Amino acid sequence: MSERRSVLEVSDVRFAYRDEQPVLRGVSLQAAAGRLVCLLGPNGSGKTTLLRCLLGGLRPSGGSIVLDGEPLESYSRRAVARLLAYVPQFPSETLGFPVRELVLMGRFAHGGALGLASRQDLEVARLAMEMTQTLPLAGRTLSELSGGEAQCVMIARALAQQPSVMLLDEPTSHLDIRNQLQIYRMMRRLAHDWHMAVVCVSHDVNLAARFADELVLMRSGQVRAAGPPGQVVRADVLKAAYDVEVELVDRGEGRPPLVVAS
Amino acid sequence: MSADEPELRASVTGGRLAGWLVGGAVAALAVALACSLVGRSRVWGDSFWTFPWAQEEVWRIRCFRLLVAALVGAALAVSGLALQGLLRNPLAEPYILGISSGAGLGVLAGATLAVKLALPAWATTPVLAVAGSLTTAALVYAIAQRRGRLDPYVLLLSGVVVNVFNGALILALFVFTRPLDLLDYVAWSMGHVQESMYAGSLLPPPVLAGGAAVLAGGLLVLWRGSSLNALALGDEVASSGGVAVGRLRIEIFVLVCLMTAAAVALAGPIGFVGLIVPHIGRLLLGPDHRRLTVVCAAGGAVLLMLADTLCRLLAEWLNVGTLPIGVITALAGGPFFIVLLRRRFREGAA
Repeated sequence: MSERRSVLEVSDVRFAYRDEQPVLRGVSLQAAAGRLVCLLGPNGSGKTTLLRCLLGGLRPSGGSIVLDGEPLESYSRRAVARLLAYVPQFPSETLGFPVRELVLMGRFAHGGALGLASRQDLEVARLAMEMTQTLPLAGRTLSELSGGEAQCVMIARALAQQPSVMLLDEPTSHLDIRNQLQIYRMMRRLAHDWHMAVVCVSHDVNLAARFADELVLMRSGQVRAAGPPGQVVRADVLKAAYDVEVELVDRGEGRPPLVVAS
Repeated sequence: MSADEPELRASVTGGRLAGWLVGGAVAALAVALACSLVGRSRVWGDSFWTFPWAQEEVWRIRCFRLLVAALVGAALAVSGLALQGLLRNPLAEPYILGISSGAGLGVLAGATLAVKLALPAWATTPVLAVAGSLTTAALVYAIAQRRGRLDPYVLLLSGVVVNVFNGALILALFVFTRPLDLLDYVAWSMGHVQESMYAGSLLPPPVLAGGAAVLAGGLLVLWRGSSLNALALGDEVASSGGVAVGRLRIEIFVLVCLMTAAAVALAGPIGFVGLIVPHIGRLLLGPDHRRLTVVCAAGGAVLLMLADTLCRLLAEWLNVGTLPIGVITALAGGPFFIVLLRRRFREGAA
C-alpha cells in the first residue's frame, strides 16, 4: 500500500475567513490512486471548506496542496480539470440540457474550438455513462430523473473529465438506502477498477466504514484520526469527534461493526 | 458494449452550426428583401426586372434602414442571450439592466461634446458610448453582488434604479446643451433608426464601426458558447470542469457592453429585443448557447427589420414623420416580460 503514489497531497492546510476564527487549523491528508478515502466529521468541522480549497475556490492561508506533483495554484483551471473532478451534493438546475449534453460538458477541458464534441469525446462520455448506468437516460433532462439517477449523471459528467482524482461532497445525503449503496459501490469501483483517487465527504459512518479504504475524521478544522476503517471506527475515537456516546455492534467475522449513536 | 446499444450523438455539431448560420443568413436576407419592397411608393418602374428601378434611391434608403435595424437587433438579441446565460437569470437583458441607458448617456454626451468642441461625432460618441455602458454595467454588478454571488432580483432592481438615474442625466444633459432637435431627441430616446445617417452610402462610418463591433462581439459570444453552457451546472461545478468563471464574467460583460453601445449609438436604446428573441429561441431549440447565438443573431435581425418596417408603414399610413421603433418593441416586450416574471414567480425559482 505504502508505495502507491499520492496524486493529491494536502499538507498543513490552514484557512480562515476574514477576521473570523480559523476553519482549518493545519489539515494534512493524502489521496492515492486506487483508494477510496472518506472524509468524516461533525457539521462545521471544516470538511466543506477543505473541499473548497481543493477545488481552488478558496485560497488557503497556509500549507500546501500538491496535485500530481505540482502545487495546485500553478495549474490553469483547464489543467486542473483534466486531473481533478468534482461531484456536488445536489445537482443544480441545468436549464433543460439533456443528460448526454451534461455529460459531454465534462469534456470541456479537453475540448477544442467551440467545445464541439469529437469522436473521442463521444466515446469517453459513452464509457462514463455506461459505468454509471446512465446511457438509457441520454435524451432526458435532469428534472425528469430521480435523485439517484441525477447523482449518477453528475458522476458520469465528472468521469468524462478523465480525472485522476474525484472529489464528492456528500453525494448520498438525499438518497434512499438502495441508491446510497449504489453510489458507494460505484465510488469503490472507480477507485479499485479505474485506479482513481476518490475522496468523498460523508456523514454516514457505517457506509464509509464498509466501503472506504481509508477514513479521515475531522473536528474543529483538524484531522483527529486517519487510517483504515478499523483504526478509526472505535467508540472512543468517534465519541471524541462527535460528542455523543457511541455503541459498536459486532456483526461477526470480517465485517466492520455497526455504529449506533446512543 | 453490445451491438444494439445506441450510439451517443452530440446535439450540436460543426455541420449543424454551419447549417443554422447559412439558414439564418438566408432567412434574414429574404425578410430584408421583402421588407424593402413594401411601402407607399413602388420602387420599381414598369417592370420589376428592369434595372435601374424607377425609385432606386428610395429602395436604397429602405435597405439602409433595414441594415441598421438588423445590426441593432442582432446585437441586442445576442447580448440578452449572453447575459441570461452568464447570470442564469432569464430576465436579464441590456435594457432592463440599465446598460442601454448608460450607453445612451454616453452617446448623448458624445453628441454634446462634438458640438461644443467642433469635433466630428465619430471621434467622441463611440468611446463615450462604450464607457457609459461599461460604467453602468460595473455599477449594477457592484450593487447586486455579495461575495461574488449575484442576487437575481437585486440585480433587476438595481438595473431599474440605474436606468432612472441615467434617464435623468440624459434629460438634464439634453435640456442644458441641446445637441439635437427636440423631436429628434424624443425619437432617439425611444429607439429609432435615423434615415438622416444615410448619405448616399449603405455603409457610412458609424454603421461600418457598429457593424464591426456587433460582428466581433457576436463571434466571441459564439466562441464562449460552450463555457456559457457549462455554467448551467452552477459556478462551482463549471469551474471544476475547467471554466475560468471570473474571467468569463468579465469577458461577457465587456462584449455585451460593446454590442449594446454599438446598438444604442446606431438607433438609441431599444428595449426587450434581448428578452423576446432568446426566449423564443430557447423554447423552440433548447438551451445550447452555440446554436442559440447563431439563431438569436438572425432572429433579432429579423424581428427588428419587421418592427422597423411596421413603423415605416404606420408612419406612412398615419402621415406622421416618424414612429420610433422602440414604441413597438416596448409595447410587445412589456407584456412578454410580465408573463416571464409571473411564470418564474409561480415556479418559485429565485
